[in-house]
Amino acid sequence: MKRIIVAAATAVLLSAAAAGADNVAGYTADAQQSKLEFTGVQAGAEFKGVFHKFTAAVDFAPDALAGSHIDVQIDMNSVDSMDKDRDTTMRGKDIFDVAHMPTAHYVTKTISKTAAGFSAVGALTLHGVTKDVPIDFQFTNAAGGAKLAGTAKLNRLDFGVGQGDWKSTEWVGDAVKVSFSLVLKPKS
Amino acid sequence: MPISSSPNRYSAVAQGFHWIIAGLIVTQFTLAWMAEDLPLGMHKLALLARHKSFGMTVLMLAVFRLLWRLFNRPPELPAGMSKTERVLAKGTHVLFYILLFAMPLTGWLMSSAKNYSVSWFGRFTWPDLIGKNEQAFELLKTTHQTLSWLLFAIAILHILAALKHHFWNKDDVLRRMLPFTKSEKRS
Repeated sequence: MKRIIVAAATAVLLSAAAAGADNVAGYTADAQQSKLEFTGVQAGAEFKGVFHKFTAAVDFAPDALAGSHIDVQIDMNSVDSMDKDRDTTMRGKDIFDVAHMPTAHYVTKTISKTAAGFSAVGALTLHGVTKDVPIDFQFTNAAGGAKLAGTAKLNRLDFGVGQGDWKSTEWVGDAVKVSFSLVLKPKS
Repeated sequence: MPISSSPNRYSAVAQGFHWIIAGLIVTQFTLAWMAEDLPLGMHKLALLARHKSFGMTVLMLAVFRLLWRLFNRPPELPAGMSKTERVLAKGTHVLFYILLFAMPLTGWLMSSAKNYSVSWFGRFTWPDLIGKNEQAFELLKTTHQTLSWLLFAIAILHILAALKHHFWNKDDVLRRMLPFTKSEKRS
Protein backbone atom coordinates (compact mmCIF):
# COMPACT_ATOMS: atom_id res chain seq x y z
CA MET A 1 0.00 0.00 0.00
CA LYS A 2 2.77 2.35 1.03
CA ARG A 3 4.60 1.63 -2.23
CA ILE A 4 1.54 2.44 -4.26
CA ILE A 5 1.14 5.78 -2.51
CA VAL A 6 4.78 6.68 -3.10
CA ALA A 7 4.51 5.65 -6.75
CA ALA A 8 1.30 7.64 -7.18
CA ALA A 9 2.78 10.67 -5.48
CA THR A 10 5.92 10.43 -7.66
CA ALA A 11 3.77 10.18 -10.77
CA VAL A 12 1.77 13.24 -9.72
CA LEU A 13 4.95 15.20 -9.01
CA LEU A 14 6.55 14.15 -12.31
CA SER A 15 3.50 15.06 -14.32
CA ALA A 16 3.29 18.35 -12.46
CA ALA A 17 6.93 19.04 -13.30
CA ALA A 18 6.33 18.10 -16.91
CA ALA A 19 3.23 20.27 -17.05
CA GLY A 20 5.24 23.04 -15.41
CA ALA A 21 7.93 22.77 -18.05
CA ASP A 22 5.29 23.11 -20.71
CA ASN A 23 3.96 26.17 -18.97
CA VAL A 24 7.26 28.06 -18.89
CA ALA A 25 6.54 31.46 -20.31
CA GLY A 26 8.70 32.78 -23.11
CA TYR A 27 9.85 36.40 -23.01
CA THR A 28 12.20 38.79 -24.73
CA ALA A 29 13.76 41.78 -23.00
CA ASP A 30 12.50 45.23 -23.93
CA ALA A 31 15.55 46.94 -25.40
CA GLN A 32 14.52 50.40 -24.28
CA GLN A 33 13.79 49.66 -20.64
CA SER A 34 16.28 46.89 -19.89
CA LYS A 35 19.68 47.70 -18.51
CA LEU A 36 23.01 45.90 -18.32
CA GLU A 37 25.58 47.66 -16.16
CA PHE A 38 29.06 46.87 -14.87
CA THR A 39 31.24 48.43 -12.19
CA GLY A 40 35.00 48.24 -12.29
CA VAL A 41 37.71 49.75 -10.16
CA GLN A 42 40.20 52.08 -11.79
CA ALA A 43 43.00 53.74 -9.85
CA GLY A 44 41.22 52.93 -6.61
CA ALA A 45 37.91 54.51 -7.63
CA GLU A 46 34.85 52.73 -8.98
CA PHE A 47 33.55 53.50 -12.45
CA LYS A 48 30.37 52.33 -14.10
CA GLY A 49 29.64 51.37 -17.65
CA VAL A 50 26.68 50.04 -19.56
CA PHE A 51 26.13 48.02 -22.71
CA HIS A 52 23.49 49.79 -24.74
CA LYS A 53 22.87 46.92 -27.14
CA PHE A 54 22.00 43.44 -25.97
CA THR A 55 19.22 40.97 -26.54
CA ALA A 56 17.79 38.55 -24.01
CA ALA A 57 15.56 35.53 -24.54
CA VAL A 58 14.04 34.29 -21.30
CA ASP A 59 11.96 31.18 -20.67
CA PHE A 60 10.98 31.34 -17.08
CA ALA A 61 8.45 30.12 -14.56
CA PRO A 62 9.22 30.22 -10.83
CA ASP A 63 7.63 26.78 -10.39
CA ALA A 64 9.34 25.15 -13.38
CA LEU A 65 12.99 26.03 -13.03
CA ALA A 66 14.19 22.91 -14.85
CA GLY A 67 12.66 24.19 -18.05
CA SER A 68 13.72 27.81 -17.49
CA HIS A 69 16.58 29.51 -19.32
CA ILE A 70 18.08 32.94 -19.62
CA ASP A 71 20.06 33.67 -22.77
CA VAL A 72 21.73 37.03 -23.31
CA GLN A 73 23.74 38.27 -26.31
CA ILE A 74 25.78 41.42 -25.77
CA ASP A 75 27.15 43.73 -28.44
CA MET A 76 30.55 44.61 -26.93
CA ASN A 77 30.93 47.59 -29.24
CA SER A 78 28.00 49.26 -27.44
CA VAL A 79 30.04 49.72 -24.26
CA ASP A 80 29.61 53.15 -22.68
CA SER A 81 31.44 54.20 -19.52
CA MET A 82 30.56 57.87 -20.03
CA ASP A 83 34.00 58.76 -21.32
CA LYS A 84 34.86 58.33 -24.97
CA ASP A 85 38.60 57.94 -24.33
CA ARG A 86 38.02 55.09 -21.89
CA ASP A 87 35.43 53.49 -24.23
CA THR A 88 37.86 53.56 -27.15
CA THR A 89 40.53 51.97 -24.97
CA MET A 90 38.11 49.26 -23.81
CA ARG A 91 37.10 48.40 -27.39
CA GLY A 92 40.76 48.09 -28.35
CA LYS A 93 42.71 44.87 -28.83
CA ASP A 94 44.18 44.79 -25.32
CA ILE A 95 40.82 44.83 -23.56
CA PHE A 96 37.58 43.71 -25.27
CA ASP A 97 39.10 43.43 -28.76
CA VAL A 98 35.70 44.06 -30.35
CA ALA A 99 37.17 43.78 -33.85
CA HIS A 100 37.70 40.04 -33.26
CA MET A 101 35.22 39.31 -30.47
CA PRO A 102 32.23 41.58 -31.13
CA THR A 103 29.74 39.71 -28.95
CA ALA A 104 29.55 38.18 -25.52
CA HIS A 105 27.05 35.48 -24.68
CA TYR A 106 25.55 34.25 -21.42
CA VAL A 107 23.29 31.22 -21.15
CA THR A 108 22.15 29.60 -17.95
CA LYS A 109 22.72 25.89 -17.30
CA THR A 110 20.86 25.48 -14.01
CA ILE A 111 18.52 27.71 -12.06
CA SER A 112 17.59 27.16 -8.44
CA LYS A 113 15.44 28.80 -5.78
CA THR A 114 17.17 30.67 -2.94
CA ALA A 115 15.92 32.44 0.17
CA ALA A 116 16.19 35.82 -1.53
CA GLY A 117 15.02 34.83 -5.00
CA PHE A 118 16.84 32.68 -7.52
CA SER A 119 20.35 31.82 -8.45
CA ALA A 120 21.70 30.39 -11.65
CA VAL A 121 24.94 29.10 -13.04
CA GLY A 122 25.55 29.89 -16.65
CA ALA A 123 28.28 29.86 -19.24
CA LEU A 124 29.65 33.27 -20.10
CA THR A 125 31.57 33.62 -23.33
CA LEU A 126 33.51 36.86 -23.17
CA HIS A 127 36.57 37.79 -25.21
CA GLY A 128 36.43 34.31 -26.76
CA VAL A 129 36.77 32.54 -23.40
CA THR A 130 33.91 30.51 -21.90
CA LYS A 131 33.63 30.07 -18.14
CA ASP A 132 30.85 29.47 -15.65
CA VAL A 133 29.55 32.55 -13.88
CA PRO A 134 26.90 32.40 -11.16
CA ILE A 135 24.18 35.03 -10.94
CA ASP A 136 21.61 35.93 -8.30
CA PHE A 137 18.33 37.42 -9.39
CA GLN A 138 14.76 38.25 -8.54
CA PHE A 139 11.80 37.61 -10.75
CA THR A 140 8.63 39.65 -10.42
CA ASN A 141 5.55 39.25 -12.48
CA ALA A 142 3.16 42.07 -11.77
CA ALA A 143 0.20 43.25 -13.78
CA GLY A 144 2.42 45.74 -15.59
CA GLY A 145 4.76 43.03 -16.86
CA ALA A 146 7.51 40.68 -15.80
CA LYS A 147 10.92 41.79 -14.64
CA LEU A 148 14.13 39.94 -13.98
CA ALA A 149 16.85 41.80 -12.11
CA GLY A 150 20.03 40.64 -10.50
CA THR A 151 23.76 40.77 -10.04
CA ALA A 152 26.90 38.82 -10.79
CA LYS A 153 30.56 39.05 -9.98
CA LEU A 154 33.37 38.01 -12.24
CA ASN A 155 37.09 38.44 -12.64
CA ARG A 156 38.03 40.09 -15.92
CA LEU A 157 41.37 38.26 -16.14
CA ASP A 158 39.59 34.85 -16.13
CA PHE A 159 38.44 35.88 -19.61
CA GLY A 160 41.70 37.44 -20.73
CA VAL A 161 40.11 40.89 -20.61
CA GLY A 162 43.27 42.91 -20.20
CA GLN A 163 46.36 42.03 -22.20
CA GLY A 164 49.80 43.59 -22.06
CA ASP A 165 49.96 46.35 -19.43
CA TRP A 166 46.30 45.80 -18.61
CA LYS A 167 47.06 42.37 -17.12
CA SER A 168 48.25 44.21 -14.05
CA THR A 169 45.61 44.71 -11.39
CA GLU A 170 47.48 47.51 -9.65
CA TRP A 171 45.54 50.29 -11.39
CA VAL A 172 42.58 48.40 -12.88
CA GLY A 173 40.99 45.87 -10.54
CA ASP A 174 40.37 42.27 -11.54
CA ALA A 175 36.91 42.00 -9.96
CA VAL A 176 34.01 43.42 -11.92
CA LYS A 177 30.46 43.67 -10.63
CA VAL A 178 27.60 43.25 -13.08
CA SER A 179 24.01 44.20 -12.56
CA PHE A 180 21.10 43.73 -14.89
CA SER A 181 17.47 44.58 -15.05
CA LEU A 182 15.44 42.97 -17.80
CA VAL A 183 11.98 44.25 -18.52
CA LEU A 184 10.26 41.30 -20.16
CA LYS A 185 7.67 41.18 -22.91
CA PRO A 186 5.87 37.95 -23.81
CA LYS A 187 7.48 36.31 -26.82
CA SER A 188 5.30 36.92 -29.83
CA MET B 1 62.09 75.80 17.58
CA PRO B 2 58.99 77.47 18.97
CA ILE B 3 55.54 76.17 18.09
CA SER B 4 54.10 79.61 17.41
CA SER B 5 55.72 82.29 15.31
CA SER B 6 58.03 84.75 17.05
CA PRO B 7 58.35 88.30 15.75
CA ASN B 8 61.28 87.30 13.56
CA ARG B 9 60.81 83.58 12.80
CA TYR B 10 58.15 81.36 11.31
CA SER B 11 56.93 78.67 13.70
CA ALA B 12 57.79 75.01 13.23
CA VAL B 13 54.19 74.39 12.16
CA ALA B 14 54.26 77.15 9.55
CA GLN B 15 57.62 75.90 8.26
CA GLY B 16 56.28 72.35 8.12
CA PHE B 17 53.25 73.41 6.07
CA HIS B 18 55.45 75.51 3.78
CA TRP B 19 58.05 72.87 2.95
CA ILE B 20 55.73 69.86 2.79
CA ILE B 21 53.33 71.66 0.46
CA ALA B 22 56.23 73.04 -1.61
CA GLY B 23 57.55 69.49 -2.05
CA LEU B 24 54.09 68.23 -3.03
CA ILE B 25 53.66 71.01 -5.58
CA VAL B 26 57.00 70.16 -7.23
CA THR B 27 55.84 66.51 -7.34
CA GLN B 28 52.51 67.59 -8.86
CA PHE B 29 54.16 69.53 -11.68
CA THR B 30 56.50 66.62 -12.40
CA LEU B 31 53.66 64.05 -12.52
CA ALA B 32 51.45 66.30 -14.67
CA TRP B 33 54.24 66.98 -17.18
CA MET B 34 55.08 63.28 -17.40
CA ALA B 35 51.42 62.29 -17.93
CA GLU B 36 50.45 65.11 -20.28
CA ASP B 37 51.53 63.66 -23.63
CA LEU B 38 50.91 59.99 -22.89
CA PRO B 39 48.05 58.15 -24.61
CA LEU B 40 45.38 56.72 -22.30
CA GLY B 41 47.08 53.64 -20.94
CA MET B 42 48.27 52.05 -17.76
CA HIS B 43 51.20 54.42 -17.35
CA LYS B 44 49.08 57.53 -17.68
CA LEU B 45 46.44 56.11 -15.32
CA ALA B 46 49.11 55.42 -12.71
CA LEU B 47 50.67 58.89 -12.97
CA LEU B 48 47.33 60.68 -12.84
CA ALA B 49 46.12 58.52 -9.95
CA ARG B 50 49.15 59.67 -7.94
CA HIS B 51 48.64 63.26 -9.13
CA LYS B 52 45.05 63.17 -7.85
CA SER B 53 45.99 61.60 -4.51
CA PHE B 54 48.75 64.15 -3.90
CA GLY B 55 46.44 66.95 -5.06
CA MET B 56 43.79 65.97 -2.54
CA THR B 57 46.53 65.82 0.11
CA VAL B 58 47.43 69.42 -0.76
CA LEU B 59 43.76 70.40 -0.47
CA MET B 60 43.49 68.86 3.01
CA LEU B 61 46.75 70.48 4.12
CA ALA B 62 45.59 73.80 2.64
CA VAL B 63 42.53 73.77 4.91
CA PHE B 64 44.67 73.30 8.03
CA ARG B 65 47.30 75.72 6.79
CA LEU B 66 44.73 78.46 6.20
CA LEU B 67 43.24 77.90 9.67
CA TRP B 68 46.72 78.05 11.20
CA ARG B 69 47.49 81.25 9.27
CA LEU B 70 44.23 82.87 10.40
CA PHE B 71 45.01 82.31 14.08
CA ASN B 72 48.78 82.83 13.99
CA ARG B 73 50.43 86.05 12.88
CA PRO B 74 53.45 85.52 10.67
CA PRO B 75 56.60 87.53 11.43
CA GLU B 76 56.57 91.12 10.21
CA LEU B 77 58.18 92.08 6.90
CA PRO B 78 61.57 93.82 7.27
CA ALA B 79 61.30 97.51 8.05
CA GLY B 80 63.19 98.71 4.98
CA MET B 81 60.70 97.43 2.37
CA SER B 82 58.97 99.93 0.07
CA LYS B 83 55.20 100.17 -0.27
CA THR B 84 55.32 98.51 -3.71
CA GLU B 85 57.41 95.63 -2.37
CA ARG B 86 54.99 95.14 0.52
CA VAL B 87 51.95 95.09 -1.79
CA LEU B 88 53.73 92.67 -4.13
CA ALA B 89 54.73 90.38 -1.24
CA LYS B 90 51.21 90.40 0.27
CA GLY B 91 49.58 89.90 -3.14
CA THR B 92 51.80 86.95 -3.98
CA HIS B 93 51.05 85.28 -0.68
CA VAL B 94 47.29 85.81 -0.99
CA LEU B 95 47.46 84.38 -4.51
CA PHE B 96 49.38 81.35 -3.21
CA TYR B 97 46.63 80.65 -0.69
CA ILE B 98 43.94 81.03 -3.36
CA LEU B 99 45.81 78.64 -5.69
CA LEU B 100 46.35 76.10 -2.90
CA PHE B 101 42.58 75.67 -3.02
CA ALA B 102 41.87 76.47 -6.68
CA MET B 103 44.34 73.95 -8.11
CA PRO B 104 43.02 70.85 -6.31
CA LEU B 105 39.40 71.99 -6.61
CA THR B 106 39.57 72.51 -10.40
CA GLY B 107 41.37 69.16 -10.65
CA TRP B 108 38.69 67.46 -8.58
CA LEU B 109 35.93 69.09 -10.69
CA MET B 110 37.77 68.02 -13.86
CA SER B 111 37.86 64.40 -12.72
CA SER B 112 34.17 64.50 -11.83
CA ALA B 113 33.23 66.03 -15.20
CA LYS B 114 35.22 63.32 -17.01
CA ASN B 115 33.60 60.60 -14.85
CA TYR B 116 36.92 59.47 -13.35
CA SER B 117 36.24 59.63 -9.62
CA VAL B 118 39.11 60.68 -7.36
CA SER B 119 40.58 58.09 -5.03
CA TRP B 120 42.95 58.93 -2.20
CA PHE B 121 45.76 56.40 -2.60
CA GLY B 122 43.12 53.69 -3.08
CA ARG B 123 42.03 54.14 0.55
CA PHE B 124 38.76 55.91 -0.16
CA THR B 125 36.96 57.64 -3.00
CA TRP B 126 35.98 61.30 -2.93
CA PRO B 127 32.43 62.06 -4.08
CA ASP B 128 31.99 63.51 -7.56
CA LEU B 129 31.33 67.26 -7.38
CA ILE B 130 29.50 67.49 -10.71
CA GLY B 131 28.05 65.07 -13.21
CA LYS B 132 29.62 63.87 -16.43
CA ASN B 133 29.98 66.85 -18.78
CA GLU B 134 32.46 66.89 -21.65
CA GLN B 135 32.25 70.67 -22.21
CA ALA B 136 32.72 71.42 -18.53
CA PHE B 137 35.71 69.07 -18.54
CA GLU B 138 37.42 70.95 -21.38
CA LEU B 139 36.78 74.29 -19.70
CA LEU B 140 38.04 73.04 -16.33
CA LYS B 141 41.09 71.47 -17.93
CA THR B 142 42.01 74.80 -19.52
CA THR B 143 41.41 76.54 -16.18
CA HIS B 144 43.51 74.00 -14.28
CA GLN B 145 46.37 74.40 -16.79
CA THR B 146 46.20 78.19 -16.84
CA LEU B 147 46.21 78.31 -13.04
CA SER B 148 49.18 75.94 -13.01
CA TRP B 149 51.17 78.42 -15.13
CA LEU B 150 50.14 81.23 -12.81
CA LEU B 151 51.29 79.12 -9.86
CA PHE B 152 54.55 78.36 -11.65
CA ALA B 153 55.11 82.06 -12.34
CA ILE B 154 54.48 83.25 -8.78
CA ALA B 155 56.57 80.38 -7.39
CA ILE B 156 59.52 81.61 -9.49
CA LEU B 157 58.84 85.17 -8.31
CA HIS B 158 58.65 83.92 -4.71
CA ILE B 159 61.98 82.05 -4.97
CA LEU B 160 63.73 84.98 -6.67
CA ALA B 161 62.36 87.38 -4.05
CA ALA B 162 63.58 85.15 -1.20
CA LEU B 163 67.04 84.96 -2.77
CA LYS B 164 67.07 88.70 -3.39
CA HIS B 165 66.24 89.33 0.29
CA HIS B 166 68.95 86.95 1.39
CA PHE B 167 71.82 87.91 -0.92
CA TRP B 168 71.00 91.52 -1.88
CA ASN B 169 69.20 92.98 1.12
CA LYS B 170 71.01 90.61 3.50
CA ASP B 171 67.92 90.39 5.77
CA ASP B 172 66.47 87.29 7.45
CA VAL B 173 63.39 86.82 5.19
CA LEU B 174 64.70 83.52 3.78
CA ARG B 175 66.33 82.29 6.96
CA ARG B 176 63.23 82.66 9.10
CA MET B 177 61.48 80.05 6.92
CA LEU B 178 64.46 77.67 7.00
CA PRO B 179 64.53 75.01 9.67
CA PHE B 180 67.79 74.42 11.58
CA THR B 181 68.98 78.01 11.17
CA LYS B 182 68.98 80.96 13.48
CA SER B 183 67.60 84.34 12.58
CA GLU B 184 69.59 87.36 13.53
CA LYS B 185 68.22 89.51 16.25
CA ARG B 186 66.81 92.54 14.53
CA SER B 187 67.77 95.88 15.95
